[in-house]
Amino acid sequence: MLLAAARYGYANAKVRALRSRKLTEQDRHFLLTAKDLTSCLSYLATTSYSPCLADPEKTIPELPTLERQLAQPLLGHYAKVVYSLRGAKERELILALFRRFEAENLKIVLRALFANLNRDAVCHLLYPLGRLNDLDWDTLWSCKSVSELLEHLRPGIFGQSLQHALPQFEAQGRLFPLEMGLDFSCFRILRQAISALGSRYDRTVTEKILTLYIDILNISWVIRLKKDYGLRPEEILNYTLPEGSLISLACLNHLARAEDIAEFVNHLPPAFRHELSTIRDWAKLAQRLETYFLKALARIFSGQPFHIGIAVAYLLEKEIELANLITLLQAKARNLPVEEIGNRLSWQITESVYVPAG
Amino acid sequence: MFRPVKLTRVTIQTPEEYISEVMAILGDLRLLHLIRVEETHLGRLGYVAHVNTTLLGRYDALLVRINRLLEDLQFPRSSQVVGKTPRPDKVIFRLEEECTAVEKESLEVLEQRNKLRSTLFEHQTLIDRLRLLEPAGLELDRLYSLRYTTFHAGLIPEENLERLETSLGEIHHSLIPIDRKEGRVVLLAMALKEDEAILLRALKSAFWDPLELSTELQGSVTSILERLTGEEQQLEDDLAELENKCKALAHQFGGKLQQLREELLLGRQLLLAQEKFGQIDHTYLLTGWLPISLFDDLKQRVMKASSDKALVEQIDPAEVKEVRSGILSIPILFNNPALIRPFERLTTLYGTPTYEEVEPTAFLAITFLLLFGIMFGDVGHGAVLCALGYLVFKKMFRYLDYGIILMECGLSAIVFGILYGSVFGLEDLIPALWMRPMENISYFMKVSAGIGISMISTGLILNLVNILRQHRYGELLSASGLAGALFYWLIAGLGVRYFLIGPPSAFEILFAKAAGGLLFTLMILQRPVRQLLARRSRTKKGRFLVPGIGVTFLESLVEVLDELLRYLANTASFVRIAAFALAHAGLFMAVFTLADMVRSAQGSGFFYWLTLILGNVVIIGLEGLVVSIQTVRLEYYEFFSKFFRGGGKPFQPLFEEKGTP
Repeated sequence: MLLAAARYGYANAKVRALRSRKLTEQDRHFLLTAKDLTSCLSYLATTSYSPCLADPEKTIPELPTLERQLAQPLLGHYAKVVYSLRGAKERELILALFRRFEAENLKIVLRALFANLNRDAVCHLLYPLGRLNDLDWDTLWSCKSVSELLEHLRPGIFGQSLQHALPQFEAQGRLFPLEMGLDFSCFRILRQAISALGSRYDRTVTEKILTLYIDILNISWVIRLKKDYGLRPEEILNYTLPEGSLISLACLNHLARAEDIAEFVNHLPPAFRHELSTIRDWAKLAQRLETYFLKALARIFSGQPFHIGIAVAYLLEKEIELANLITLLQAKARNLPVEEIGNRLSWQITESVYVPAG
Repeated sequence: MFRPVKLTRVTIQTPEEYISEVMAILGDLRLLHLIRVEETHLGRLGYVAHVNTTLLGRYDALLVRINRLLEDLQFPRSSQVVGKTPRPDKVIFRLEEECTAVEKESLEVLEQRNKLRSTLFEHQTLIDRLRLLEPAGLELDRLYSLRYTTFHAGLIPEENLERLETSLGEIHHSLIPIDRKEGRVVLLAMALKEDEAILLRALKSAFWDPLELSTELQGSVTSILERLTGEEQQLEDDLAELENKCKALAHQFGGKLQQLREELLLGRQLLLAQEKFGQIDHTYLLTGWLPISLFDDLKQRVMKASSDKALVEQIDPAEVKEVRSGILSIPILFNNPALIRPFERLTTLYGTPTYEEVEPTAFLAITFLLLFGIMFGDVGHGAVLCALGYLVFKKMFRYLDYGIILMECGLSAIVFGILYGSVFGLEDLIPALWMRPMENISYFMKVSAGIGISMISTGLILNLVNILRQHRYGELLSASGLAGALFYWLIAGLGVRYFLIGPPSAFEILFAKAAGGLLFTLMILQRPVRQLLARRSRTKKGRFLVPGIGVTFLESLVEVLDELLRYLANTASFVRIAAFALAHAGLFMAVFTLADMVRSAQGSGFFYWLTLILGNVVIIGLEGLVVSIQTVRLEYYEFFSKFFRGGGKPFQPLFEEKGTP
């Protein structure tokens, strides 16, 4: 315990300090009830997101640009967490989580190359990766074709998965296999980073978070691939991530073949079934699962405080906050009613619940 | 040598029908720095650029054909000198005809070879695919003849196999792993023909990399492989025969194609130069800078070619309106002997001198070699540098200049090595004709300071020359002008007197005090006084003292102190010459001590010599680099900063080397 305290004392304090800057219940209330996008941004400018916002009174940037600007605090926090950790393996784990954002930017580069767009046309869609970035973007942007880009990436962490996906990219003539390849490689390096951790407790906690995260992602992906993309069950299963904790391959197979939402929920393991039994709308399933995940992450912060799980949980929590914020801004831009927006968000209900006046 | 080549501004006006002839003459002379007519006052008269795009298109198309032939024949591209520059509009006909003749002789063979190469490649790919399936001992014709079952062979990532298996759970299927290769499984996937669509969808989503096999393949994989390997040998033999024919063609036509390409590039560059010409109706006008010595030849040839219908004018640079008003600067064409020319690279790295400035490359070359030799003086090391330089000179065309510099530095090191009596650090092989640095440290320091004073003095003199040439007379009384130089020489003279003869006499001290004080006062007051006079001459009346004069005085005082202190620091900086020469000798001592220690520990002469050789290699590499850096530093910061301002424009000849297409 003493060793763990020495190892994680500073990082734990740092993470908790960063966590105190999260949006509060009061912030979420005013953001949700703001009359339009401008007033929503005006309020956001009073929160910890203010440094990454331009003056909303003067210019409202395009929504995709804004989304990437809002990611700045999250990516900055990644750097702060990495530099607060003492062990190389713990740092590697956080960096492995961070690689997902590099993968997202790579997807943008791939799409730009595929659609013959130049860097300037899509640069507003890129995550501002900052200090932790490990890729030579200038070289990648100088590539003239997708295959040239993949050749550059071959020796790196994304190389193997992309090479495996290459034949299907060539056969299908679309980027979907490559994008899936990037996602698979992110989770592969995450798993490798977890198994490299020295402490058994660290491994257990982070595996618990990651496998739950994979379960929830798999359920969400099955729903999306089934409902939005209309894929067949035999395809859906192959596009899921391996090594979830509660959901087995057989369960995913049943989910992919479920005819309706009731059958879908029925096939879920008891932990999820209990949470989702009242849901009758596909759209709400993913949102409720995210809430479930947020609650699980919140539980990490109680109990033994000196472990790497604290940092992982905080960063995933912050990421979900960002995703909710973006959903909210998109909904505000479309002038959707407050109730409808509320239904789409998975904000975590925190300790200090704000009770609006009246 | 100390001035760039004297240039003159040339303007040629010629009727349209003679423009190609004129271009050919310009191509022959080469040394013309064209100015875009549209950017001069002539552009306002209606002269516009016009490039013959049709002709340029023919050149480009032909260039593509020749490049492809050279590439297919695998003939290396190299530069060849073209004697007389041809007329671009005329020569294209000959070039096209000659290229067609070469194509007629070679294209058929080349196409046959390329076709055979791709056949062989396909063959090898098929063999590679079948080799993956070989361990299963499959009989392909039997698999193809199955009535109700379909099969697919391919590779999938290992981690996807389990999910693939589960995803096919609803249909009758069989997944047979055959082998493993680079994280993937070689797989034979079978299902009922009616379920083929499901099987294919599942395979596709599992990142399936199919091994495409032709239905014409009959028999077992092993027997097919045997047959294909035999055929491959035959194909390889055929290809080797065709490759030999191609080599013969390359031998026969390579040189010719290279020559055609050079002529083509020359003509193309001439055509591109047209964008700097001006055209109005049927008259062309071109203008540029030309060495004055070539003007008569140019005029004579242009007049002859145009039957005296062209107009060739020469204007003295001083009379060119744009030059006088500073809009246009005269380009610099260096004029140095072959041995000094490589140092132009070092000069231009600092800056390009203006036309009026002293061209400093000769001074740089001489002082560079002197400083390098003093710091790196050793016969053996100099010889090694010379040999390395010769190697670069001979083998690396791109770094020819650096090869020459290296050789010259080596020679300088040899000369000083003889003066120091040092051969690979061994000081008992030859006598020291001048001194041994380690035994005369104090004397060497004085010599270094003396070199510093000489170089700074040279810089100051060159600065005075530049001031006079550029008519910046106001600077004569400043700390960087004549007053500063006299002050420096006064102090330097006293220093030299003290070290060589002894302490100065009372009269000399009194004289130095009076002269120094006078010069110091002059340097401080010159700027405020000039400012006052300038304002008085503008206003003619009013108060004598104007606002802000105090600040100007203070600025002037600080500037003078700063400049004088810099003189002192610059001179002291030259002591590093002795320091690095001593470091060079010191490193030798260290290497010899190390070698002795190794010998006494190992008891073998082999290790002694090995240590000596390695030590010398390290000294040559490390010390060579350090000494070069220090020499460049002394040249740039201590010497050039005294007189060289730069900001000039380099001369761009008509056929300057650019990226060739």
